[in-house]
Amino acid sequence: MDLLQSILYDMVNHSTPIILCVIGGVFAYKANVLNIALEGMMLCGAFIVMLVDFLTGNLALAVSASILSVLLLGLIFSFFGITCKGNVIVVGLGINMLVSAIAGFVLKVMNSSNILINSLKVSDFKINIPVIENIPILGSLLSGHPLITYLSFFGIFLMWLLMYKTKFGIYVRVVGENEDAARSLGLKVSFYRYMAILIGAFCCALAGINLSLERLGLFTNDMTAGRGFIAIAAIYCGHGDPLVSAVYAIIFGLARSLSINLSIFAGPAAGLFDVIPYVLMTIVLTVVSIYRYKNIKIRGFRINE
Amino acid sequence: METTNRKQKWASFGRSLLSSLVPVIAAFIIGGIIISLLGENPFATYWILISKSLFTVKGFAYTLHKAAPLILTGLAIAVTFKANIFNMGVEGQLLIGGFFAGIAGASLTGTSPAVTKIICMAVGMGCGVLFALIPAVLKAYFRVNEMVVTLMLNYAMIKILEFLATGVFRDNGSGYVTTPTIQAGAMFRRLGGSKLTPFFFISLIVFLMMYFVMNRSVLGYEIRAIGLNPVFAEAASMKVRNKIIEIMVISGALSGLAGAGQMMSDQFKYTLTFSGTPGLGWDGMLVSLLGKHDPVGILIAAIFYSALKTGSDKINFYTNVPKEIIAVIQSLIILFLAVQFFDEKTNLFDSLKKKITGRDETTVKEEL
Repeated sequence: MDLLQSILYDMVNHSTPIILCVIGGVFAYKANVLNIALEGMMLCGAFIVMLVDFLTGNLALAVSASILSVLLLGLIFSFFGITCKGNVIVVGLGINMLVSAIAGFVLKVMNSSNILINSLKVSDFKINIPVIENIPILGSLLSGHPLITYLSFFGIFLMWLLMYKTKFGIYVRVVGENEDAARSLGLKVSFYRYMAILIGAFCCALAGINLSLERLGLFTNDMTAGRGFIAIAAIYCGHGDPLVSAVYAIIFGLARSLSINLSIFAGPAAGLFDVIPYVLMTIVLTVVSIYRYKNIKIRGFRINE
Repeated sequence: METTNRKQKWASFGRSLLSSLVPVIAAFIIGGIIISLLGENPFATYWILISKSLFTVKGFAYTLHKAAPLILTGLAIAVTFKANIFNMGVEGQLLIGGFFAGIAGASLTGTSPAVTKIICMAVGMGCGVLFALIPAVLKAYFRVNEMVVTLMLNYAMIKILEFLATGVFRDNGSGYVTTPTIQAGAMFRRLGGSKLTPFFFISLIVFLMMYFVMNRSVLGYEIRAIGLNPVFAEAASMKVRNKIIEIMVISGALSGLAGAGQMMSDQFKYTLTFSGTPGLGWDGMLVSLLGKHDPVGILIAAIFYSALKTGSDKINFYTNVPKEIIAVIQSLIILFLAVQFFDEKTNLFDSLKKKITGRDETTVKEEL
């Protein structure tokens, strides 16, 4: 019973940053700008929040500095990728490497391998919901999580509304599906792409804050460990639909939680359990892809589609 | 007629040279600002960086030695990027190639040194190819996005090799996580007093082969055609599906060879920092972008970037600037390289000029 509870708790816990990346990334996906900088943006959020908090001790300042810096990163991405028409994959890769390089550089200058704030108690961030926390299984699912976890699950529906029920969402999708049509309607194509990237940046900042500040109170370089790329895989699987993509993000969270909780029983093979989430996501991606193109019959091979 | 042709050729050469130089210079300026913020002199720092790695015989030999795997990973990236396939798994393919070349090199006994070396390199290439085949087959037959798959499998491969190095293949005599050191017969000997090994010349031979493949062969033409327009390529009776697998196999073999070479000429055992940070595969990405995915460009870029890397160790020695500054400069170069400042299609330079001159014309008209 304890095992089940901790599996469920970890599932929610590990899903959170991926969900945030997913719901942020779907807009860029729909606007036809592949944002592989999610990883770097998340790392930047995680880094800046811990750095500023370490230097000033002001939590509110740290959080806002983190969000602002990631938004700035989003602007840089958009400027290079959209305004200057650079190759967005290379731009994204450059940003991922830049954030990791800067974090490594600053850590070196600080002469430390991580940022650890002793006064910070992670348990303070946890929100316990009065009645529900005592119900066996529901309690570990719904109670005792930090604020951003609740925001992320709430955000799934918010982003779904934004994408399908508002003018903004429709325009973003039009821009992605047919740029020329969007232009002929007088839509500012670049504006919607910028906004799509910035929404993603904002969500990634929250994901980063969740990862370093709320969950561990610790920053080590490259702590995001490919979560941004897994989020992109989830977006591909869900074809950019916030709800469906978020489900894939939760599947990853479950895989991660299972690999952590079950590795205790694995003995020497425990190290191999870390591989499961990445392999599982690859398999899921393949299955979804086979299923999607099952009924399309064209001669030969097409790369794009 | 001929002179105009030659003029155009020079103009396009100058343009491509500029489009590689400007990002580098811009990155160095930003890096210089960071260095001066630390209270050091950027010019002195850069001078140490360049002079110690390029202007001494010993330093230059070391630079060439370090450039060998970069040439190979650069080519591995270029051959896929030219076909518009994004093989981001070069790092993982290099690691698995290096790892198993090391295992082979440590466990082979009773073979002559030459045979041992050939077997080790073959093992490295084979492992790289096998690992590259996963995304290749998924891409060719199930249309799975190869970029996402390779990015994720990199992490999986790092974890798997970490597991193998801490468990099955661990060198128990050592105090830290490492595989056993390879046999003397599997090591490339240093030439003379320098750090240069025959592996550099192997990478040069591979470079010549790839130059021929990419510029002078049917496959090279097909790679370019697929990159420009896969639908046309298919219509012109190329089997795009098979070509994708072929291209990925070449890329995997090059990456695996780079890993094997790194093992046999530089590291001699697999540790968790085998390919350094950010990793030889990612360095290859920069090299390929800097060289505009052209073999000759890649050769020059690899030596240039290798000079930066070897020079950065010296920076640590002589100044207070941490060598991590090079990683910052590297990522800035990649970021700036993404934008084609001097390309014919999106020539920012020309459009800027047009804007200015256009405005001038209107002001002239208004004055009239």
